[in-house]
Order: sequence, then structure tokens, then C-alpha cells
Amino acid sequence: MSKHTAIGIDAPRTDAWAKVTGSARYTDDFSLPGMLHGALKRSPVAHALIKSIDVSRARAMPGVKCVLTGADLLAVRYGNWRLFPATQDEVALARDKVRFIGDEVAAVAAIDRDTAIEALEAIIVEYEPLPALFDVDAALAEGAPRIHEPTKGNVSVTRKIEYGDLAAGFARADYVCDDEFQMQPVSHAYLEPCSVLAESDGQGRVTLHASTQAPYIIQCLLASALGLRENEVRVIKPFVGGGFGGKMELRVWDVCAAEMARRTGKPVKFTLSRAEELGAGRRRHPMRLRSRVGFTRDGLITAKDFTVHLAGGAYNSMGPTATFLVGNFGAMLYRYPAYRYAGFHVYTNQTPAGAMRGFGAPQALFAAESQMNQAAAELGIDPIDIRLKNAMRPGDVIPDVATVSTCHFVDALEKVAQMSDWRKRREVRPEPGATVVRGVGVGCFSFISGGNFNWFNTRQPYSSAEVHAHDDGTVRLLTMASDIGQGSDTVLQQILAEALGLRLEDVSLVASDTAVTPSDLGTWGSRVTLMAGNAVVDAAEKIKAQVFSAAALHLDLNIIHELECKDGRVQVKGKPERSISFGEAVAMAQRYDRGVPLVARGSYTPRGKGIVTPTFSFGAQVVEVEIDRETGRTKLDRVWTAHDCGVPLNPMSVEGQVAGSVQMGLGYALTEELVTEGGRTVNASFLDYKMPTSLDMPSFMESATIGSYEPLGPFGAKESGEGPVSPTAPAIAEAIYHASGVRHRVLPITQERARGVTPGASEERKAGCGA
Amino acid sequence: MSPSHFDYASPATLPEAIALFAEYGARARILAGGTDLLARIERGQIAADLLVSLQRIEALRAISFDSGEGLSIGAAARLAEVAEHTDVRVHYPVLAEAISLMATPQIRNMGTIAGNIGNGSPCADSVPVLIAVSATAEIVGPGGVRRAAVGDLFRGPGLLALDPNEFLVRVHLPPPPANTGFAFKKLPARTAVDVAAVNVGAMVAADQGRCKEVRLILGAVGPTPLRAARSEALLAGRVLDDTLISEAGVLAAEDARPISDVRASAAHRRAMVAVLVRRALLAAAEQAGIRVQSNGGSSS
Repeated sequence: MSKHTAIGIDAPRTDAWAKVTGSARYTDDFSLPGMLHGALKRSPVAHALIKSIDVSRARAMPGVKCVLTGADLLAVRYGNWRLFPATQDEVALARDKVRFIGDEVAAVAAIDRDTAIEALEAIIVEYEPLPALFDVDAALAEGAPRIHEPTKGNVSVTRKIEYGDLAAGFARADYVCDDEFQMQPVSHAYLEPCSVLAESDGQGRVTLHASTQAPYIIQCLLASALGLRENEVRVIKPFVGGGFGGKMELRVWDVCAAEMARRTGKPVKFTLSRAEELGAGRRRHPMRLRSRVGFTRDGLITAKDFTVHLAGGAYNSMGPTATFLVGNFGAMLYRYPAYRYAGFHVYTNQTPAGAMRGFGAPQALFAAESQMNQAAAELGIDPIDIRLKNAMRPGDVIPDVATVSTCHFVDALEKVAQMSDWRKRREVRPEPGATVVRGVGVGCFSFISGGNFNWFNTRQPYSSAEVHAHDDGTVRLLTMASDIGQGSDTVLQQILAEALGLRLEDVSLVASDTAVTPSDLGTWGSRVTLMAGNAVVDAAEKIKAQVFSAAALHLDLNIIHELECKDGRVQVKGKPERSISFGEAVAMAQRYDRGVPLVARGSYTPRGKGIVTPTFSFGAQVVEVEIDRETGRTKLDRVWTAHDCGVPLNPMSVEGQVAGSVQMGLGYALTEELVTEGGRTVNASFLDYKMPTSLDMPSFMESATIGSYEPLGPFGAKESGEGPVSPTAPAIAEAIYHASGVRHRVLPITQERARGVTPGASEERKAGCGA
Repeated sequence: MSPSHFDYASPATLPEAIALFAEYGARARILAGGTDLLARIERGQIAADLLVSLQRIEALRAISFDSGEGLSIGAAARLAEVAEHTDVRVHYPVLAEAISLMATPQIRNMGTIAGNIGNGSPCADSVPVLIAVSATAEIVGPGGVRRAAVGDLFRGPGLLALDPNEFLVRVHLPPPPANTGFAFKKLPARTAVDVAAVNVGAMVAADQGRCKEVRLILGAVGPTPLRAARSEALLAGRVLDDTLISEAGVLAAEDARPISDVRASAAHRRAMVAVLVRRALLAAAEQAGIRVQSNGGSSS
């Protein structure tokens, strides 16, 4: 029996009813009197100087209320990496140059959307084309034009990690695999396109309702872009239909809507179309990875040399973090006695890449896991056994980077082998000459539970919580943690209910309003459960201290008595007969304080935990696929996942995260790719951008947690939502190898590639991938 | 005005609809399910002054079967209604199967067979089946009613052999002949919500264990659905075996005229024609009661 009542239970989402009935309101659902509709003029060319922009006809059109170009905005460069201003390379509207097809050059606000779109067509921009650089090789070529003038060459960020004796490691290796991997750009494909509604108070302040993962980041960067003080900008996050990393930056439409609302005095709304999202929206970084790993003949890793080129696109966006994390994830999962990483973030004239679920791990781990599978095959060792030989253990250190806290990777490997009946399934070999063949493969993962590095250079706690306790037995949690569909509101309410011995329905929540709720960096890096959760626990402890004092007085207790909050009461530990209700205790506490409301604030900022994260999750996944060797159609049929995510606070939610990760991992492995030709995305629709549907999902999925307890997390929890997005692609690739003998190192493994029975097919390089 | 502004008419009788088309000509468009048309208007690819819905004309929603006339499907009947209709499932299950592989339930609840034809897309999933079963289209215009084989309607991507003031009102499928099998094969990139990279419709008619006649239609590998005439000729009157069927696939692949686009390369499409043709022929032959002799030549 669990000693907990509000956590460790399958709590349905507190927002489920609103979402299922359609009463949940998203940004685009809001309409205000006099509201104007915004639209963006985008560059049709990939790289050009802007010779002139003529907006006179558009400005004169009836119904057009405001037209902006770069010249109408402050020349302030913004970007998420505030700690290093040199990386901040964006302005809302291009000033003198466009750098990708879709780069925004002008914005219109009009009385309706059709008028705004017509006005866009009336804006005349004269371009002087420059040579466009569509991939890393072109961008790095000698004499290539610079995409951003201040940068030398087109490498905007370089990150290096090195420890151990690499030369000695490779010298004692009996087997070295040395491979190049290439990953495609893919879309977050969140169901709700980006949307913002801005209002001005007539005195220069602005309020934004924005579909965002990080209200605080928008607040701060928008203030700098408009020349306001940070608290003259208020950002409110309504319901958000997914983000997956794609909504954690200040974006062009946020700036334009705010500035237009200030100029016109009217509310201004922008909502992107799906074509804009898929054509010009952020995406996962295309990368080229070169990985050399040495093994002894017993399968022990001796060294790894890892070089990665990230095709960043036209702006840095979250690229610096990607460059940083790929190198970190490249060193995870296994004990690499010597490791060298060099990561280069390269500007190109493609749509900028940004943060996306798993951030850096899907690429780094596709390479690492593929090579573990390859080494296992070459050395005649079972793929799970070779992992067990090398698996990280608690307390392992990546020098100068990170320390591993809890780690149950070995348990996860053993668990997944048992769940999937791995050894038996692996024995089954396809009939020679069969058209439809089956194979099984394994892939593993590790991920961060929030980031430690203060790239945003915030001066506030990473996460905060404010708890208002009421004498009616209810509490209210104020948090700027942003639920974007992952279920964090429910989990934070569960944490507070658990800490105060209340029921989930006793806890209400006000979230994500920068004017009302206390600071939080937002939803990214799987940080919310651990960081915001710890802040909630901290605030709850402060509430408890006060209600304990009141209860001790009221119950006339000896000072040595231990108290607890349980079942809606404040009681002597284990003695409900000596108790008062939580509400009464709150009333007492307030009375002793002459009516001052009982409010407590908690916070969490990671300290002394390295530069990466307080703690990592670990896990392993086995998949079974079926391939039609004639057509290349590959069906992911079964998936087993064992997840060391600490204590699952809401097991149903964890299971949902794993299932959602499988869907994304499957698309990444087999079908999804934003295909570009000459910098233009040619499949900018859900018809031709091939996300797996529910009918493509496996017929069988089972996931298990390991039963680990993370002391650094709230009630023992660590991350669960991003780690599992990485193992599916390498596991599928291994299963294809197991079935057909072909090893794939380029994603996605389309039907055309999967059909290739000759080894040469895996070496093919698809034009326009960008990496 | 923005291209998304248009007038809308929903006449209650066919003569009223004909009169509207006579008046507007090419500026009018039939609004069948709207699943393609409205999306293209929204994207600014098509402009129309008037959209004419046929949904109020009861007779055009009907699906009926007559042992002499065969199956008749009204232009306004929804794809889902067609796929679920007992007469269709009994007499032409291959059509129900092809429809069930199209798009999504929501789109099938709106879209129509006539729209799938009228769109003029070379990859329309119902069309290879309709041509395989020798379906005809009933077309009306100011001059009255005419019939044309569905296979004769296609002129190029989005181009039909119709006058601007003509439109489809019904599709007729003849009574299913005895000793005949039909099959539909589609190769999408994912299980649902997808357009075929290649699709194939096949008819095999048997005569005392031999193949009497074959119709083979290749979709998405040319500007219109293509007849694989050399493959059809190869098989007519023959005793079928694996080798012969594979040869028919290879010939069809040679006759295909695929392009490379984001959905597939021309080379992949061509290779897949050979595979799908072979599979479709085997399935249709089996239904026709033909035992295809195995001689180890099954790979293509």
C-alpha cells in the first residue's frame, strides 16, 4: 500500500473535461471588440539584401489599420541566450537582409484577415539576391558568403568537451566503429498553431495572450524589443495545444501584435496557418554526426570521438542549447573512459531549427544506440548484454559537465528484456526469401530533468510557487509553470494536495500569468515536475509550519509532538483523534496573525549539480517491426518500454508520455521529414508531412517504471516526457537490420530506403536534407 | 475581393442546377463534399463565383442496384454512404475497400465518388476501380444527358473531358459479371490519411480456368490514370502462372510514366507498379476462380 493519497494515483487531468467538451479556450478562440487581424509578409527568397520596401499602397487600403516594417521597430536584437548577447541575432522584421524563405519583412493589421492578406500583396519589396547556402557543406565552404555579418564564417556556436585519454583508448580497442549519421528536420506539429492576442492599456503597457511554453521569456524579451520595462509587459498563457519545444521563444508575431496594439489602441491578433508553421516554423535540427567508438573484444567501450554539425538555419534560435546538449547526450548511458566532442552550430539559408522534444538526444542517441547495436553484431554479443557491460551507474561523472544522481539503467535493461521476452524473440530468424519479415531491436535513452545552466540569465528563482491557504479547507496554487498539454497543472496540484494532506479537488490553480503568478522559466527541458514541483513542496512546508503552530496551540500539545497534514486534517502524527481540520487550522493561524492571509512562497533553483541537470532519467525500449521487403513498408508492431523516471506521480500521465513519445519516435524513424528544395519546404501540409496516425501506432504497447526514488525530486520524481522520444528510432533501425540485414544511418527510413536490400542503400544522401 | 468569397446555391431540382451552370459556365463549380474544392479555394488555387451544391436533390443522393442496370451511385452520395451500402458491399466489395482506404472517416463522411472523379487527380483511389469495373459516368448539360466511360474522362491533372457547363450526376457500374475478380492495391506512406504514391485497379475474367480478359489501371504514375495495355494483352487467353503475372507487372512498370515528387521518386513508383500489379492480379485471379500455377517465379 502506498502511503500517499494524491500522488502515485492515476489522476485524470484536471483540464480533461474542458478539453473534451470543447470549452477550453485557446488564444485564437478569444475575440475582443475592435480587434484587428494581423498577417505577415514573408520573404520569397532565401538570401538577399532588401533594397526597398514600399508599403504606401497597403497603408492606403481601406480596412488596413497598421503596417510595420523593420524600420518601424527598435533595432534591438533578441534571442533566448541572453547570457551571451552575441548569440542574439533576431529582429522581428528584417531590416536590411532576409536569410530564409519565410523570413518576415512586414506585418499588416486590418479589420479582417482577408483584408490583411490582400494588403500583404500590395507591399512591394525589392530584393538583391545573394548566393544562398542550403546545407552545412555550402555554408562552411571557403569563400562562402556570411549569413550574419558579425560572425566569422558561418559557425555561430562551437562547443567542445574532452576528458580521458582518447589516443590510449583507441589504441587498446579491438574493434572501432566509425560512422556518419544524418538526421532530417522534423516538425513539432503541435495541433494549435502559434497565436497571440495583444492589448494595450493606452499608457504604453501591453498584455499578451499567447500560445507559449514560456510566458516569462516572452515577457522579458518583448520588453527589451519594445524598449519597455519588464513589468510593463504582461503575458498570459491560456490553454495551449502543444508546444514540444516550438513555443519557448519570443517570436515575430508577439512583437508585431504588441507594437500594433500600442500604435492603434486596438487589440491585435495573429494566428499562423499550418502552411506557415510547416514552411517557416521551428523544427528539430537536421544534423550530421560522425561518431567513432572503440570497443574491446569483450564489448567494453574504450573511447568515443564525436563530431556534430548542426544545420541551424538562418538564426540561432535555441541552437546553442542544442549544440551543448548533443555533446552531453553523446556521453550518456554508457561509461566512456575517454570522450571527445566537437559541436558546430552552422548558419544556413534554411528555416531556423529550434528546440524540440528530446532536444539533442534523438540525434545523439540514434548514433550512439545504432553503434552499440552494430558493435554487438560485430563482436557477437547480444545487444542488451553489451549495454549491461557498459551501463552508467549512480554517481558516475561526466567531468566538468554533469554528475549522475539516481540511475537504474541496468534495471531498465533487465526489465525490458524480461517484458519483451527479448532473448526468445531475438532467436527467431526470418525465413530466407520471405517477402514479409519481422525483426526486434533495442534502443535506450537518458534525459535531463530540467536544465541547470542559466542561459537566460534570469535573476529570479528558476521555479516558484505561491500557496494561499483558506479557512474553508481549500488551497490555491499560483504558479507560472506552463501546462501546454503535458499535464503539469494536474501534477502540481497533486503534489500540493499530497504535501498538505488534502484531496485533489481541494486544490485550485492559477497559472501562467506574469502579472499574478510567481517566476518560472517555463516548460522545456522536462523541468516542470522536478523544479516547479520542488517549489510547491517548499511553499507547502512553509504553510505546514504555520498550521502546525496553530494546531499545537489549539490542541495544547507538548512541543515534542510531531504533527502531520493528513486526510484534510492537521493532527498528531498517527493520531487522528487529536486533530483539527485543515480549514480550522488555517483560520487559527490567520487569527493569531490578526487576519493576515495565510500565504507562503516557495522556490527552487538548482545549485551545485553541474551545468546540465539535477538528475537524469534512464530507460530502455524493445520494438518489433514487420517489413514488406518488396515495398519497404515497415510496420511498428510492438513496443516495450522500461523507464527509470523516479516515482511516477501520475502513472497514467507517464504512460501517456511514453505512448506520445513512441508516436513521435516512429515518425522520426520512418516517415517524417520537412523536405526542402532550394530552401523552400515542399511538403508544408499534413497531407504530405507524414506524421503517423493512430492506425500506424503499434498493436501492442507496454511500459513499466522501475520503482526508483530520486531524492532531488518532489516525492522522488524525475522526468518522464522527453527521454522516451529517443529510443524508438534506433530500436526500429536495429529491428530492420535484424529482419533484413540492412543497417540504416540516414533518417527517415522511408519505404524507398527500407526496400534497399543492398548495403549501399543506407549510404544514400538525400538532397535538400540540410545537414 | 479575396478568393475565398463566393456565392452559394443549393437548387432543389436538377433543371435548376443545369440552368445555373448554363448561366455561370466556368465561373461555377459543383460543391460535392467540398473536401478538395474548399481547401483549394482557401489556398487561393481556385477561384469561383458560384458554388452549386447538389445535396438537396434527393435523386442524386441515391444508391441503387438493379440486376439489369447494375449499380447506380448518385453524385451527391457520400463516400462513407457508398462504402457502407449493402448493394455496394454485396456486388462491388472492391469499391468499398478502395473507399475505406481513402483519407479519414471525417473526409469520407463529406466527400463523394463524383468529386473523386471530378477532381481529375491521377491518384484518386476510386478511379482505378471504377475503370476496372467498366463504370460509366452520367453527365448532364444544356444539351441533355450523355454517358461516357469513366476511363475516357481524364485528360490531365485536374482536367476532365467535360464542357464548362456540364457536370456529373451519376456513376453506373454494370452488373458484376460471372467468373470475374476485382482487386485494388494502394501504396501509401502511412496507414491512413494519405494519398497513394501508386495505386492499381485490376479486373480478371476467367473462362474455364484460363484468363479470358484483364483490365489493369495504374494510378499516380502518369498525368491521368493509365491502362496497362501491354500487360492486359499479355494475359488475355492465357493460363496464368507466377512468371506470366510477374511479367505483366514488369510490362506495366515499363508503361508507367511516373514523376519524382515529395511522395516518391519515379524509380520507386515504377518498381512499386510491378509489385502492386502482380499482387492485384493474383488477388483478382483468385476471386475469379483461377488457380495461378506456381513455378517459383514470384519475385519481380
